Amino acid sequence: MATDPESAAGQRIVEHLAARLRRRQVVGSRETALETVLVLRQVVSKARFSNIDQLVDTIRSVGRKLVEAQPKEYTVGNTVRKVLHHIREEYHTATRGAAAPFPSKPTFSIAKFVSQGQPRKQTASQRTSHETRGVLRENDADDPDAFARALKPVFMEAIQDVLDELETVYDNVSKVAKDHIHSDEIILTIGNSSTVEAFLKAAASHRKYTVIVADTAPSYSGREMAQSLSTSGITTVLVPDSSVYALMSRINKVVLGAHAILANGGMFAVTGSLLAATAARAHSTPVVVCSGQFKLTPQWNLYHEYGALDFADPSGVLGFEEGDLVDKVDVVNPYYDYVRPEMIDAYITNDGDHPPSSVYRLIKEAYDDEDYEL
Amino acid sequence: MAPKSSATGKERTTIEEEDVLQAIILADSFNKRFSPLTQLKPRCLLPVCNAPLLDWTFESLALAGVQEIFVVCRSHAELVKAAIKNSKWSKPSTGLKIVPIVTAKETFSPGDAMRDIYTHGIITSDFVLVTGDLVSSVRIDEVVRVHRERRKTNKDAIMTMVVKESGARHRTRSRAESAVFVVDPKTSECLYYEAVMGYPPKKYANIPREILNEHPEVEIRNDLIDCSIDVCSVEVPSLFQDNFDYGDLRRDFVHGVLTSDLLMKNIHCYIAKDGYAARVKDTRSYDAISKDILSRWTFPLVPDDNHPGGHSYEHIRGNKYIAKDNTVALSRTCKIGNNTLIGSQCLISDNAQIFSSVLGQRCTIGAGSVIRNSYLFDEVVVGPNCTIEYSILAAGVHVKDGSRIEKGCLIADGVVIGPQARLKPFERLSRRLLETKHDDELEEDGGEEDEDEDGDEDDEESEDDEESEMDSDYEEIEANQDPEALKRLGPDNNAIIWPQPSINEDEEIDEVEHPTNLRLMRLGDDTSDLYLSDAGSETSESDSDDDDHFDDSDPSSSVTSLPLADTSNLVQQADEAAFIEFQHEVELSLDRAFAEGHSVDNASVELKTLRMAHNVPLRRVREAVVAAIVNQIKIVEGGGPAQRQEIAVVVSRWGALIDKIGGVDATETIEVLQECCASSERLPLFGQILAALYQEDVVEEDDIRAWHKKPQSCGEDQKPATLQNNFKKCWNAGAFMIKQFDEQESDEESDEEDTATSAPSTRTTTTTQRESSEESDEEAEESEEDEVGSDEASENESE
Repeated sequence: MATDPESAAGQRIVEHLAARLRRRQVVGSRETALETVLVLRQVVSKARFSNIDQLVDTIRSVGRKLVEAQPKEYTVGNTVRKVLHHIREEYHTATRGAAAPFPSKPTFSIAKFVSQGQPRKQTASQRTSHETRGVLRENDADDPDAFARALKPVFMEAIQDVLDELETVYDNVSKVAKDHIHSDEIILTIGNSSTVEAFLKAAASHRKYTVIVADTAPSYSGREMAQSLSTSGITTVLVPDSSVYALMSRINKVVLGAHAILANGGMFAVTGSLLAATAARAHSTPVVVCSGQFKLTPQWNLYHEYGALDFADPSGVLGFEEGDLVDKVDVVNPYYDYVRPEMIDAYITNDGDHPPSSVYRLIKEAYDDEDYEL
Repeated sequence: MAPKSSATGKERTTIEEEDVLQAIILADSFNKRFSPLTQLKPRCLLPVCNAPLLDWTFESLALAGVQEIFVVCRSHAELVKAAIKNSKWSKPSTGLKIVPIVTAKETFSPGDAMRDIYTHGIITSDFVLVTGDLVSSVRIDEVVRVHRERRKTNKDAIMTMVVKESGARHRTRSRAESAVFVVDPKTSECLYYEAVMGYPPKKYANIPREILNEHPEVEIRNDLIDCSIDVCSVEVPSLFQDNFDYGDLRRDFVHGVLTSDLLMKNIHCYIAKDGYAARVKDTRSYDAISKDILSRWTFPLVPDDNHPGGHSYEHIRGNKYIAKDNTVALSRTCKIGNNTLIGSQCLISDNAQIFSSVLGQRCTIGAGSVIRNSYLFDEVVVGPNCTIEYSILAAGVHVKDGSRIEKGCLIADGVVIGPQARLKPFERLSRRLLETKHDDELEEDGGEEDEDEDGDEDDEESEDDEESEMDSDYEEIEANQDPEALKRLGPDNNAIIWPQPSINEDEEIDEVEHPTNLRLMRLGDDTSDLYLSDAGSETSESDSDDDDHFDDSDPSSSVTSLPLADTSNLVQQADEAAFIEFQHEVELSLDRAFAEGHSVDNASVELKTLRMAHNVPLRRVREAVVAAIVNQIKIVEGGGPAQRQEIAVVVSRWGALIDKIGGVDATETIEVLQECCASSERLPLFGQILAALYQEDVVEEDDIRAWHKKPQSCGEDQKPATLQNNFKKCWNAGAFMIKQFDEQESDEESDEEDTATSAPSTRTTTTTQRESSEESDEEAEESEEDEVGSDEASENESE
């Protein structure tokens, strides 16, 4: 793009975030998503473009850089796609003038979807350069910034919407908590997902129930979860991972957190989730996953890629002091598990509850097709 | 939600409030452990897992939030400068400012480099000092924070060393160069540092006693990996300037500062529990660290994510990393083992096997070749049916078919070794450079090294200039090649063989560079033939006193090696042992004295020294002496006068010795005599000996009385019945003697003038009594009376 100082400053910010992502100085789905949105906001506010494609390209290249820096943090790419989606939407709204917007989501119909694809595509083909809003001038040779000037506030608002959605994830997910958890139930959870934590705490204010938390070795994040839940008055039991199967017959529901939700309905979650889900399946216990919609990823794990599991350093499993053994033993310490869609019963998101089989639809709504490959 | 990235215009938010965090990288290692690989390239630019070592160091520092880096280069400085300029780290977006500094050619040690830094005057505040071969993921900024906190209260804390805990036998911990750290666990202050070489094996470390006086709790550790990451205060370079002989950072500087009396400075240790840190010091650690990287111990610096060279690799089950850009061609039948890294555009042919190795970019491996635990840099071509084990092959090496490269080989750039080459273990090869000899330039013995100016002439000249950078005896090496050995390398080869480091007795070399010690640092050398102190060696228990004497007295020494008794018993037993030891010594000494007829004074001096040496109480000495004297007395058959004579001889000769041992206590003498006689065969002689002693004025009448009064002298508390009886007998003899004294006194008092007459009369009566009762059964009493009487009688008459 333009090599003026503003975009250079923008590039610097992007490089800075890319470096931090690479060095894992910023970890966690929500964290990375927030950082990405802030960077994109900066980039868009500083960007100079005279038509929509230029802006889209800029954002795409930023997204590509960030995703390459840390391919395991899927929310980076998701956020970029979301922003692109919103920007295109705003653009289309602006160009078509005050015409009726495309039908809102609730009246979605599969037949229409199959025949016509995304509803927006129809309106896109009707776009012409000069529309009812005469104010909007694209590719104007005399005043290249006019387009940008007119639309930037709208784009900034759109990005703010994304940011707001990210910030209110916990509240929205917790809204339905009391419907999912009933009194005197025994719930199993693992790891330390903040979404699940908020969910359970919200339910606790309406119902009395017990939570069993598994240790989640080797990170032992389950312990923090147990600590936090018990301080808010929920009866909590902390158990080692090995007893998950043994206790499963007494468990009413399994509530898990996710790192990323894949297009086929499967998910990446903290290691130990596959254990809990398999045990639950053997006992036909429902498995419910709480997550925000920003974790929806238009990617597949068809080949069950080994590397996707993000292997951390072995010192959590076998200490570095075990000098003798280090040479003779190969130690693996995966951080994530891939859980197949068949093992999950429902995703509770900030935008309603969905079964894994309709995740593809959510993704189609949230992102644009052309953005799947950044 | 931190709005960090919304900071406009700023490159990077500073972590510390005050100055910019500076770091110094000593890019030169000042030793030649990697030669001939480092002939033309500095060690810091050698690739580890396909990224130059210097990049790993930059990455480690960037993780720590360092902002300004000074790279101090000496050898091949131009190459280092060029590499820095071309690397991604020089781009402004990284937020790092890298300044290469070329030192003078006379710097031969890290100390010299530090002095150079001081003269440059670039250091303004606390800085991080690392070497150019560091791979680490330790949060150094945390260490800096701790260091700064400490500096606020204690201005004498000049340095904080970062060390990593590891097991004693960890593959990354160097066995050749380790150290004993004495650390105060509460303040983490390093109280003492002593370097330990692997060979010759060291069993003892000497720790000054003052440390234990001042610090009640210390930890003595030998299990730490010293990463050479130091957070130094601004005074450190000036300390180097003050002490011109400080060469090595640890052995000289740290050791010097900690053992100095004048310089009241403290050095602290930061024992890193999380994170990985190690230095590529030698080929063995190169191997260990490469394996650690491939096994992901250095997370988050791993090949598939955050590779310092910017490559991207795909991580496959079994820690296999294959370059991700679809340029690697793996044949269907090839076998890629665990812990392997394959660079981009490699070609692996049929039936090739690669285990635990690293392949650089654009390598070609021929059919059926086996590569095990080896490191191949870029563009290496390996022909079919070769075997390569535990070796490092530098860029562009060509190994033709059927060759065999044994463990520990180092092959430098561009070497071609012909078909069917056979390399011996630990062989080092480099390319033959001097095709034609330019006599003028070759005669420089490493004198002028201005590589800057001449570098851009035609090829030959540039080769010569590179040579001028090399060892001054490189030409010698090349001239002294053995043609037979070269034949072994195959018909097409262009290599020369470097001689093994030999043990030159005359030359004084740094102990670390001793060839046997160097073996501990070699790749592929398992050094099982060297006798080395075991990592978990046993501690010695007894005091050093006994060590010297243990060779002679084996039965007595067994007493000391009872490790399980509790302390009070131990003390007793130690005392017992000491006494038995001492007794033995006294016997020997007195035997000598008797045999050679030493004077009493000489003998007494000997006894005194023995007493001091063994630290035994006086009573013991007395026991020993008396026992020796008593045993000296020959038992004459039939007893009587002859016996008395014998006794008299001995006692007159040696009796005085009893008093000359350092303290006079006649009562004790008698006690001791009683004990001695009671338990020996000389029991009947007790009275006689006592009389003889009385005769010689060794014991006085009062002493005898005092002895007699003592309860234990009648043997009541002696356990074995026979012993008790014997004691009793002695006691009775004493009683008789006292009776005689009493009689004598009364006689004396009554007839002063009649002493001459009355005395003999009483004496004669006693003698008659004596003679008559000589034959009676109670021999002991009689003989005692006998003796007593005879003593008195002998003064006046001779029988």
